[in-house]
Order: sequence, then C-alpha cells, then structure tokens
Amino acid sequence: MTYNEILDLLRGTLETTGIWHFQWNVIVMWLIAFFFLYLAVVKKYEPLLLLPIGFGMFLVNFPKVPLMGWTEEGHGELLRIFYHYGLEWEVIPCVIFLGLGAMTDFGPLISNPKSLILGAGAQLGVFITFTGTVLAGFTLKEAASVGIIGGADGPTTIYLTQHLAPQLLGANALAAYSYMAMVPLIQPPIIKLLTTEQERRIKMKQLRPVSKREKIIFPIVCAGIIALLVPSVMPLMGMFMLGNFMRESGVVGRLSDTAQNALMNIVTIFLGVSVGATMTAENFLSHKPLFIFGLGMIDFMVCTAGGVITAKVMNLFLKEKINPIIGAAGVSAVPMAARVCQNLALKYDKTNYLLMHAMGPNLAGVIGSAAAAGMFIAMFN
Amino acid sequence: MLVVFVSSVFGSEFLGLQLPEGKILEKTDTYIKLEVPKSHDEILKFYKDLLKNEKDIKYRDWAEMTYIEDDGARPWHSINIYKNQGQTTIVQVNKDKWSWIIGTLVLRYIAVFVVLVILMIALSISGQVFSRLFKEEEPKKV
Repeated sequence: MTYNEILDLLRGTLETTGIWHFQWNVIVMWLIAFFFLYLAVVKKYEPLLLLPIGFGMFLVNFPKVPLMGWTEEGHGELLRIFYHYGLEWEVIPCVIFLGLGAMTDFGPLISNPKSLILGAGAQLGVFITFTGTVLAGFTLKEAASVGIIGGADGPTTIYLTQHLAPQLLGANALAAYSYMAMVPLIQPPIIKLLTTEQERRIKMKQLRPVSKREKIIFPIVCAGIIALLVPSVMPLMGMFMLGNFMRESGVVGRLSDTAQNALMNIVTIFLGVSVGATMTAENFLSHKPLFIFGLGMIDFMVCTAGGVITAKVMNLFLKEKINPIIGAAGVSAVPMAARVCQNLALKYDKTNYLLMHAMGPNLAGVIGSAAAAGMFIAMFN
Repeated sequence: MLVVFVSSVFGSEFLGLQLPEGKILEKTDTYIKLEVPKSHDEILKFYKDLLKNEKDIKYRDWAEMTYIEDDGARPWHSINIYKNQGQTTIVQVNKDKWSWIIGTLVLRYIAVFVVLVILMIALSISGQVFSRLFKEEEPKKV
C-alpha cells in the first residue's frame, strides 16, 4: 500500500465521521437542547414533552446523522418517518386529543356553563399577538400559528402550526410547552394586578352535581355544535369528544384506558422527538424563534388578563358573583392553570377552594383555543 | 402615444407587483386602478402565471370580480379583477391594510365568543331539562 493510498484511506474514513463536517452552529443547538433537558429533568417543567423534544433536538444536531433526512432511495430516515406520518399528516395532535378527552371530566363545565365565556375571553391574547407578530414581519399564517401559543394548548398549537407554518413548528411547540410549565410564575402577578383583594376573596356557590346522563350527552352535543360552527377544527375536537364519550359511556373501559394511558404515552414520545427533530441549526438559528419566545410570553400574559377581565365584566351583570381569579384558568393549560387559581385564592382565604370552579374555564379554554385555531384555519382555507 | 407610454411606465409595477398594460384611472398611496384592454380571463391567466410559484396566494371567485388575496408578507394585499362584459377590464391593486387585519381579527374573536355562547346555551338548556327530569323521577321512587 502506497503512502498516497494510506492517506486516501484515512481521509475517506475521516470524511464519514461527523468531525469532518463539524460546524459551530450545532454547539449552539446543543446548548439550547441541554437547557430544555435541564428544565425537564431538574426543574420538572413539562418533562413528558420537553424531555423528548430536547433529546430529539440534540440528536439531529450532529453532522451526517441519518435521522431527519432522506435515503438515496427516497425513503425518510427514522425521525423523518415519525415526523412525516405523525405531524405532517397531522395525526399525532388528534390522537393526543383522543387521550385527553378520555382523561377529562367535563362535570365542572357542565354544571357551570357560564365558564365557557371565560374560556372565550382568555383567547384575547391569541388575537392581539397575531397583530404584534405581523408587525414583527411574520406572514399572516405564521402570525396565526404564533398567536395560538397563548391558548396554552400544546396539541392545538402543534396542529395549527403544522397546518399553517410548519417551518415554525419547533419554536412554537417549545414556546407553548415552556410557558405552560411557567404558568405558576406568569399568572399570579397579572391576576393580582387586575383584581382587588376583596374580589380575590369572593366565595363561589358549590357546583351542582352532574348526572351521568348529562356527561354522556355532553360530548355528542359539543361535537355537533362545533362541527356545525367550526368544522375545520373537527379533527381535533372530534377526537377529543370521542375520547370523552368513551370515558363517560362506561362501556368501553379498555379502549378508554388505552386512549388515556398506553396510546397517549406512545404518541407523546413520537410527538416530542419529532418536534425536537425539526430544530436543526439551519432551521432554528434565526431571529424568528427569539421573537416567538418574546411574543409567546406577551401572548400568555394577555390571555390571562383577558380571562380575568372577562370575569370582572361578567360580575357586572351576575347576581351571584364569580371570583375573577378563575378567569385566568381560561387559558387552558389543564389542570395547572386551575391549580394556580386555587393556590392564589387560598392565600387570601384558607377556606376558599376554587379548584373545581376553575376547572370549568380551564376546560372551556381547551374548547376556546381549538375554536380560535379553527377560525384561523378557516381564514386561510 | 405619450399617454400610453406614461401609463405603461407608471403602470408597470405597483408595490412590487407587476401590472398588465393599461390606462391608469386612479392612483393613490393605497391603491391603483387600471383599465386594461383585455378580457377578465386573460388578466386572471396573466396573474396566475405570474404568481404560480408564489406561496400564500388565495383566489376567490366572486360574482362581480375575481379576488386575489395575499396571505404572506407582501406589500400589496389584494388584486381585484372586475368581471366586465366589454373589451376592457378594470383591475385594482390594493396595498396591505391594517383595517383588514384588525377587522378580521375582531370578527374572529367575536366568533369564538359566539361558538362558546351557543355551547353555553345548549348546556344550560340540557342542564335544566335533566334537572327537571330528575325532579320528576324522584317522587316516583319515593
């Protein structure tokens, strides 16, 4: 073997490694990935999603790794296949909604239908952020996908973003889940700012018991109304209500159990890792994710304010006043936002348990953010 | 000749959008209106060819015009191609306008309320019906 042949062999071997193709920008992505892994593992912020997202992001930011590209035969590589069938086909968010439906007890919402108004009011930030995002130079579709972050509903954010602006999927999903995890930090100061101590002490009448029949009929009525009014969002809401119907009917315990446990866990892995895999250095390192994180924060704050203000406006007309704190739960983020409301109310009155009252707007927020997403989809279709 | 020349020069582009040859009827900062000596279908084909590789363009066929809308971040918002029966067609290109964005957002925010209010009414009615049914059933059991 000649000297040149040895050199050629060494060079050929070196070229197949990642070291040869190394670029500085992947280090930035590793740091971002480590940050989200830190939030998930150490801070326990939304670990079910931030962990696979962070690790997916870490994996794809190595040169030459066959994960998100295409083979020479034109087939997708491993994570590309997850992404293609799970997200590009918009399957995973809908399956997650099936599981969420199977996990959800709509009793607090059924017993207090007025809380639906709070869920609508809390969508204020979605529409205000849209305007700010357009001003920042995003397209209208991108603005819609960024705006929905304030709805604090991960699957809805992912569904809408994939539908309208798939190039922002990673940043939007990360912003949505990060801020959802930070609800206990973001919401209390805004609630305090917008309410008086007297308002925070308002005690609400105990919710009426909801019969099994009402709970069974609810998903049918809700699916029917939303299908008629916002058909574009039925892939999400249809699955949500199917999951809930399976739960409440009580006749398909095995299916309900699978939807809320095994199936939900499986798709969560695929969702997280696929979203993380979209965040390669060349896709992610631009000014847009920074804007998205900034606007997402404002979005959450305005949505919280929207819910609280709506509650205060409702109190002007209601005989039995509602505690405006529960308006903040209208941002969705189930059940964390409701827990935040409960904890805040308990600070001012140790006997004021608002959790079940806050669950109503919390669930209304899920429907409200899906309705807002449907409005955006309809706007561009 | 001079008028045609001037029209074609000034009418060749508006807010970065190429215009068909024609006579300028009105021009302001926010819109331009042209009279083009071509049929509606010819002008529509002209724009479909021009914008075929562009993203976020929406075509709507309305009774009085074809409405081409930009959902991207272009400086122009819409192209109205009026459905005239004669030899000439009126074409209007409008600048991106905030009134449209704010208007559509307000409308959609209200629509979210409407959806949830309808749901609330349905829930309230069904709740009342069920409570009455149970009240009627209870004495029977006793």
